[in-house]
Amino acid sequence: MRRLTFIAGATLVALGLLIPSAQAARKLRVVATIPDLKSLVEAVGGDLVEVDSLTRGTQNFHEAEVRPSMMLKLRRADALVENGADLDAWADVAVLGANNSNIVRGAAGRIEISRGIPLLEVPSVRVDRSMGDVHPLGNPHFSLDPGLAPIITQNIVDGLARISADDRQAFERNRQAFLARLDREMERWMKLMAPARGAKVVAYHPDVIYFLTRFGLVQVATLEDRPGIPPSPQHLVQIIRLMKADGVKVILVEPWNDFKLAQRVADETGAKALVFATAVGAVKGADNYIAAIDYNVNTLAEALK
Amino acid sequence: MRACALVLALLSVISVSAPAAAQETETLRRELEALQKQLQSVTDRLQKLETQRTPAPAPVPAPALPAMSAPSPPGATAPGTSVTDLARPRQPFTLYQQRGAGQLLFDMGVAGDFVGNLTQSNVEKAGGGTFGGQENRFFPREVELGLFGQVDPYAYAEVRIEAGEATRGGELNVSLAEAAVTLLTLPGGTQAKFGQMRNRFGYSNALHEHDLSWIDRPNALRNFLGDEGLKEKGVELTIVPDLPFYLEGLAGVFNGDNETAFGRGTLRVPMFTGRLRTFLELGDASALQLGMSAASGETGEKRRNTLLGWEGRYKYRPEGWLHPLVTVTGEAIYSLRRVLVDVDMDGDGLIDRITKRERDRFGWYLGGEMQPWRRWTGGVRYDWSQFPLNPGSERSIEPYITYWPSEFLRFRLAYKNTERTHRDGFDANGGSARQVDEVLFQGTFILGAHPAHPF
Repeated sequence: MRRLTFIAGATLVALGLLIPSAQAARKLRVVATIPDLKSLVEAVGGDLVEVDSLTRGTQNFHEAEVRPSMMLKLRRADALVENGADLDAWADVAVLGANNSNIVRGAAGRIEISRGIPLLEVPSVRVDRSMGDVHPLGNPHFSLDPGLAPIITQNIVDGLARISADDRQAFERNRQAFLARLDREMERWMKLMAPARGAKVVAYHPDVIYFLTRFGLVQVATLEDRPGIPPSPQHLVQIIRLMKADGVKVILVEPWNDFKLAQRVADETGAKALVFATAVGAVKGADNYIAAIDYNVNTLAEALK
Repeated sequence: MRACALVLALLSVISVSAPAAAQETETLRRELEALQKQLQSVTDRLQKLETQRTPAPAPVPAPALPAMSAPSPPGATAPGTSVTDLARPRQPFTLYQQRGAGQLLFDMGVAGDFVGNLTQSNVEKAGGGTFGGQENRFFPREVELGLFGQVDPYAYAEVRIEAGEATRGGELNVSLAEAAVTLLTLPGGTQAKFGQMRNRFGYSNALHEHDLSWIDRPNALRNFLGDEGLKEKGVELTIVPDLPFYLEGLAGVFNGDNETAFGRGTLRVPMFTGRLRTFLELGDASALQLGMSAASGETGEKRRNTLLGWEGRYKYRPEGWLHPLVTVTGEAIYSLRRVLVDVDMDGDGLIDRITKRERDRFGWYLGGEMQPWRRWTGGVRYDWSQFPLNPGSERSIEPYITYWPSEFLRFRLAYKNTERTHRDGFDANGGSARQVDEVLFQGTFILGAHPAHPF
């Protein structure tokens, strides 16, 4: 009996010793709604986090379908990083089905990265659905604007530090290292894009405006009649006229949009239809944040030569 | 003379008070200058802060990010612009402003669902069409005001008030369709929902009419749960255990008000529900949801009724598509109901005694849908169902097409052929609805916000 008690006691002590070390070794489980944020959380979190994304880069984030597999990912998450500004409002439904109190609205693990972002295209007039799938808070596709990475990553650091305060310094170090690298790349990108400044382009859907503005390009129109509304023949005729008159050389198309239609318009106008990496993972090679921007810069710089 | 005296008096007052007023003006001027200096100082500090990168509140000072040495882009940024500088708002775009005090703290939306049907006159006479009593009419089936949002950090609420034409040409009935609060921060992966709600029994019961994949609710569900489905007042508890696969367990306690299936309507003899739901991802493009449900309670005649349900939903969405190409949905319901049966023991046509028996009934449907284009969907649903109390069964087949001008507007057209083995229950006013041919049509719109739909 005494032997049994000793074994039981020793086991308990051993388990007690193991538990803290197991906890110490555990990485923060972070889920991001879109792959751009996954990449940025990986950059900031480094080895301290394990990150997953609810969507893929080839998807249209407006119309992401809530699947129980999303709930499975969220069930065990310590934090959910969301874009906000109405881009990923569907995440609420997934969170509701995940039964995880860490990531409900208002919880420490709910990190919205649009905080402090100077949003573009905020409607200055009363909006309604006759304008299409318009975003009353402004254009939410800001994540691939490298100039906004400091704000986004700061929000990520603040959010992760809320749930793991001891790691704040490490997060901040990672962030600074990432931003330093981004600054170096930015210098190169600016040089590459300098000859193209002021060039006019047409986008399929209004989700490239932050990128274009950053590099001094001008979006003169979108193929969509209104956001989310497929183009009518009359609208396309107008676009073709406009492109010819303005000498537009490029149409940017999201990987999930109708490339054939864009190609037809491009053929009519002598322009080029290009697939734009609207997110990390949207095209081959755009595997992380910097690679995605690099792809877009190189593609555009080449096309606008 | 009197006027001169008055002028003199006034001058003397002014001469006395003038130095005092001048002194006061000087004081005010100095205060104003001090305030201006303060304001300038605050503005300078603010500008200084704005030009710096947002400082990390870490105990260790963050190293400064090297300024960018990118060439000056014409008309946009200055040489040596940092990433933060580039992040600042620029014209001509309007920039985000915080919404004012009038901002709502919850979302609201209106869903309007209008349906119509054309059928034979004998079906109309018997009231045996899909929309019983509303044959050959176009009417508002459900116009719903939905309010939803966070109550506080711990709870989410959803309230839906609906109006619809329940009787032929009658007044619109306004009723509370749902009002429920979900407690989100319970421990152990659990959530509790209480209030009035559409029960999560099977796949389609939880959906409102305008959210269904078809114009009408499947026959099996209408036969076993009533035209509106199972909608109860009570509490549901769900748990999603921390497993390597998704599994949701649900248990609920309700009044049992549904008159088609239960009707006892008291917590002394409550209606219990349960459900298990799982999900399998078959590669990146395909997914399958499977579930099993149960509901058990007493009828108004104090006899037990137990319902078992099975559900499956498969979706195939090719890589890069904005919508699924193929969706297949199926549900089955089995009912085990205690009933009183008249027994003629000696075959003389007279009832000798009444006995209690368990009556089991079954119903199912299977629907397939193809969406080759974003705006167009075509599908077909096959229903087969027994009746929970009456003898016989019915089967129907319903091909349909859907057109979506936008995400918020939808039109549907369907043809439905129904065959019943018995007239019982479909023979009002001397009519007969054993063979029913119907053309069904539907127009649905959404104004404002609408909660996203799960898989």
